[in-house]
Amino acid sequence: MTINRRNFLKSSAVVATATGVAGITGCATIGGTGPKVVIVGGGYGGATAAKYIKMWGPQIDVTLIERNTEFVSCPISNLVLGGSQQMKDITVSYDALQKKYGVKVVRGEASAIDVEKKVVRLANGDSLPFDRVILSPGIDFIYDAVPGLNNAEAQARYFHAWKAGPQTVALRKQLEAMPDGGVYAISIPEAPYRCPPGPYERACQVASYFKQFKPKSKVIILDANMDVTSKPGLFKKAWADMYPGMVEYRNQSRLLDVDTKTSTAKLEFGDVKADVLNVLPPMKAGKIADAFITANKRWCEINWITYEAKNVPGVHLLGDALQIAPAMPKSAHMANNHGKTCAAAVVALLTGEQPNQSPTLNNTCYSFVSADRVVHVASIHKYDEKDKTMKTVPGSGGISSAANELEAQYAMAWAKNIWADTLG
Amino acid sequence: MKTTLALLSALAVVGSALAQTPAAPTAPKPATSAAPAVAPAAAPPPPAFAASNLSPLGVRSMSATCAACHGTNGNSVGGAIGALAGMNKEYFVTQMKLFKEGKREATLMHQIAKGYSDAETAAMADFFAAQKR
Repeated sequence: MTINRRNFLKSSAVVATATGVAGITGCATIGGTGPKVVIVGGGYGGATAAKYIKMWGPQIDVTLIERNTEFVSCPISNLVLGGSQQMKDITVSYDALQKKYGVKVVRGEASAIDVEKKVVRLANGDSLPFDRVILSPGIDFIYDAVPGLNNAEAQARYFHAWKAGPQTVALRKQLEAMPDGGVYAISIPEAPYRCPPGPYERACQVASYFKQFKPKSKVIILDANMDVTSKPGLFKKAWADMYPGMVEYRNQSRLLDVDTKTSTAKLEFGDVKADVLNVLPPMKAGKIADAFITANKRWCEINWITYEAKNVPGVHLLGDALQIAPAMPKSAHMANNHGKTCAAAVVALLTGEQPNQSPTLNNTCYSFVSADRVVHVASIHKYDEKDKTMKTVPGSGGISSAANELEAQYAMAWAKNIWADTLG
Repeated sequence: MKTTLALLSALAVVGSALAQTPAAPTAPKPATSAAPAVAPAAAPPPPAFAASNLSPLGVRSMSATCAACHGTNGNSVGGAIGALAGMNKEYFVTQMKLFKEGKREATLMHQIAKGYSDAETAAMADFFAAQKR
């Protein structure tokens, strides 16, 4: 069966090269025997890859494995904490991927990638054969680095809320239950981590909620980094101008541990006791990608033309799990761009084409510094053939000149468009 | 290989007017005085970017990256951000030029436009002009 399919693939590739047009239409007429792509993870990277492979190579059989029943967006989820958006506003169905594009969405948990046998094994015992596999596993947390939180009981009380969903709701409840005059502290790990501006946006959103409902309360940012890692001037100005006396920023404040008895963040210099302690532990590529981690024991290096793992060709990787290129953020927008660039490469490889040798990506991250004011950072990334990585185009990109209401409109429009582009 | 690319894309992308040489009329190089984006302290060596892929598939991939903000194939569903699908080619090229030169007011597009060459801009203009709205 597998061998037959491979032979079929080979011959279809030959046909494609020889006669051009037969490649795609030929496969499509055979139906059901097209090459198989299995995608693990239906976030911004994986869902986008699934949709675009079907758009650009309808004959390809695409299965998307996702553990959640619905997509919940991390971007905009800080506004749920701030109170201006609800969970339903950031939740999107996987139905369109199935009905409109013909992606098979399998709800489940991938447990292993068998590269030799070319199957993805699921926790329920099923296995799915593939010609090419795409992993978009997002991030996992390194709880070893925070011993006090390295157990289920502690993790049920101290939330990261860095994967939007039940933890977003739980953290919001903690903020609601906190008395006026209380302290919310957020611990930020050393970069790289998912969504560079996210923690600072979250501090703004919590402060925005406090300003309205708990004005005697405080927001303390415990940042392991030397300085704010994204849009530093804009965030600091927002804290000073919009939340004077409420937000306290502490750089070089790496979290060593959490004392769960006293709800205290243990730091190299001084401890911080908080009513609501929101810890973002150090992060790494999602566990299913462990075999493809090649950088700092945390991230996966890839070939930026094909998105194949550096250590195992034929396995493609996307999104926050990647060892980033210079100045490339781990963002939803970037994962969406990875998804379609990888989709183009996979379609090319499965139809005997040469993948695009000069991919271009762009990124836009909007951050809400209040319920209705926004700042952005934007960049364009092109393939550098000498260093074999993506680099920003000199002179392009930039940040907002100041927080403004117009970009709040654009940010919400961005969200609607990227949700539709990824899933609709 | 070339024919395959062209034919495949003709199937998937509704053909393309790429055969025409992208005009880039009198456009002089945009002023290079623009402040660097998120300026690194020490100037790195200039990047060795691969030559632009202006084949139909290359342009399709590049144009797809616009979709995160402007909607799949340029069909925006978010009110405040404009659709690109079906946009007049000359209008697209002119607006990108105005953004690049700082002559059209923008929050962000003036920064994005500077990331693309005139030839790339013209190729994307062709792509979006050919998309159904």
